[in-house]
Amino acid sequence: MNAALVTDVMLRSLGPYPLHLADSEDRFYGNRLIYTSWENHLMYAAPFCLPLPPTLPFGALVRVVLPEIYGEHPEFEQIDWERTQWFNSQVRFRPDFGKSLEHHGLTHKSLIRFRTPALEGIKRSTAPGRQAF
Amino acid sequence: MDTRVVKKKLGLKDRYTAMTRGLHWDTTYQPMDKVFPYDAFEGIKIHDWDKWEDPFRLTMDAYWKYQGEKDRKLYAVIDAFAQNNGQLGISDARYVNALKLFIQGVTPLEYYAHRGYAHVGRQFTGAGARVASQLQAIDELRHYQTETHAISHYNKYFNGMHNTSHWNENIWYLSVPKSFFEDAYSGGPFEFLTAISFSFEYLLTNLLFVPFMSGAAHNGDISTVTFGFSAQSDESRHMTLGIECIKFMLEQDPDNVPIVQRWMDKWFWRGYRLLTLVAMMQDYMLPKRVMSWKEAWEMYAESNGGALFKDLARYGIREPKGWKDACAGKDHISHQAWATFYQYGHAAAFHTWLPEQSEMNWLSEKYPDTFDRYYKGRFDHWAEVQKTDGRWFNQTLPMLCQVCQVPMMFTVPGDPTQIDFHETTYHGMKHHFCSVHCKGIFDDEPKKYVQAWMPVHQIYQGSCYPDDINPASPGDSPVREVLRYYGVNPGEDNGDFSTSPDRSNFAKWRGDKRKPGAAT
Repeated sequence: MNAALVTDVMLRSLGPYPLHLADSEDRFYGNRLIYTSWENHLMYAAPFCLPLPPTLPFGALVRVVLPEIYGEHPEFEQIDWERTQWFNSQVRFRPDFGKSLEHHGLTHKSLIRFRTPALEGIKRSTAPGRQAF
Repeated sequence: MDTRVVKKKLGLKDRYTAMTRGLHWDTTYQPMDKVFPYDAFEGIKIHDWDKWEDPFRLTMDAYWKYQGEKDRKLYAVIDAFAQNNGQLGISDARYVNALKLFIQGVTPLEYYAHRGYAHVGRQFTGAGARVASQLQAIDELRHYQTETHAISHYNKYFNGMHNTSHWNENIWYLSVPKSFFEDAYSGGPFEFLTAISFSFEYLLTNLLFVPFMSGAAHNGDISTVTFGFSAQSDESRHMTLGIECIKFMLEQDPDNVPIVQRWMDKWFWRGYRLLTLVAMMQDYMLPKRVMSWKEAWEMYAESNGGALFKDLARYGIREPKGWKDACAGKDHISHQAWATFYQYGHAAAFHTWLPEQSEMNWLSEKYPDTFDRYYKGRFDHWAEVQKTDGRWFNQTLPMLCQVCQVPMMFTVPGDPTQIDFHETTYHGMKHHFCSVHCKGIFDDEPKKYVQAWMPVHQIYQGSCYPDDINPASPGDSPVREVLRYYGVNPGEDNGDFSTSPDRSNFAKWRGDKRKPGAAT
């Protein structure tokens, strides 16, 4: 990413300013933070933050974790996981449900965005007065 | 005859000089820059402190007299309000939730401001700036006290106000104002004045105070209105300090211009993000509305701010980077915020509710381009769910912006259907931001923001559980344990207003037979 661009040139202080990464991975009891965002579905006001084991199979994320956190959305049942598009932040990836989060390069504090194209058209296709949320 | 001794009395101007700059001396045992190290390290160059125009000619003796009179009047009103059971005269018990937000989120900022001004009131080399800051430090401490006293009356009758200091240090949404102020007062003194005196007090304060105080007036809360009047005259002094400090820095050295510009970019945006809470309060929490957030923004930010930045252009200052995005946000942020608080209303320390039909109509009318199109559907859906399955709460903790600490609920400028995502990798770790402007603030000083106390991350680290909970396995309901640690009583201090003791008590006290949640 753009780590090389980020420096502390603007930071001024009177004395030494030690680095303190408040959310380093070792503080989460073997889990890492993973953020999830179901694109275009803003009934959930913000993406979620979850502590998950890096060894969690991607299939378990989809079959166990996601239903728990998104299951109340009226469209959740209709999701076609075969057609779902997955992104690690901006970068598209094709998940292997048998392999771990780690295997997919989902490091600590990675953001998983998923797009469910079959449900994209709801804004136009539903009855007047209804809208996507 | 005795010779009459003419008592030499100083004129106002001389007395002022004697009581401010006359108290200053240059140190000789130690070099001045060792005694005053703080006002140099930020890179601001000051050549002549005598050019500092004292923004208000107030000395300590006059201050005591004047403020003493004001406080006597204020406390007379607060007493009368209490003796007459003024709490029964408010429009609707929902209104008290605006006061809860105020005592939880704003009042602690007064105390932070007190500490910040007390600090810079010691650190400036120039006596004029020191005295101005010291007086403001006392103002802020008074405001903290008078707000606490004015609102404490409500604490006897309503839930959600009994533990506000602890909450301010722990609860997720209160980390927004808290981190804002900690960011400001951990900067140097010039940045602090740019942040608080200029960006917050000069540019944005009307957007904080007018909604709360006229909201109080419209909703029958005379106690809070009187506090507002009492604070108002102090606020105008504070605003003058803000603009004086900016002009002084800009006139002292051209090298100061880019530093001041960067601070303005940063602090305008941080202040704007903080005001999201006010926007929500104004559009959703006042049973009797004053004006919409959008109208307030147009009146107090767009017209005043536009003139201000035209005025500052001669110094080479342009409007803050986030200005246009903030203006575009006026159609959205209050709805996005209330939708967030509605669904996390079981994890807050005040009540939330769905707008009534008349209020939905008001929102549609005030936000003709956005409310029906983007936001009404969510509220309609939740209303249906509430009827059939019961009140819905979102049980999963949200992702937060690393800088403003607001949940990542803001959408892409120009596309209200997409969350705005930005990220940076620093020391091998990703950090996420709600906007290009929060990212810009981080990228300038990443080492400062990676130490942020992010409430959601802290919960997962185990910092917000009672002692009897193992943070590695907090049981079946981590939220319940976190609330226990916060000292928030589920259902009493939070949850839906319609089922709250606040609602039923208020109805009982007033002999009100109307349906739950009905406004007067």
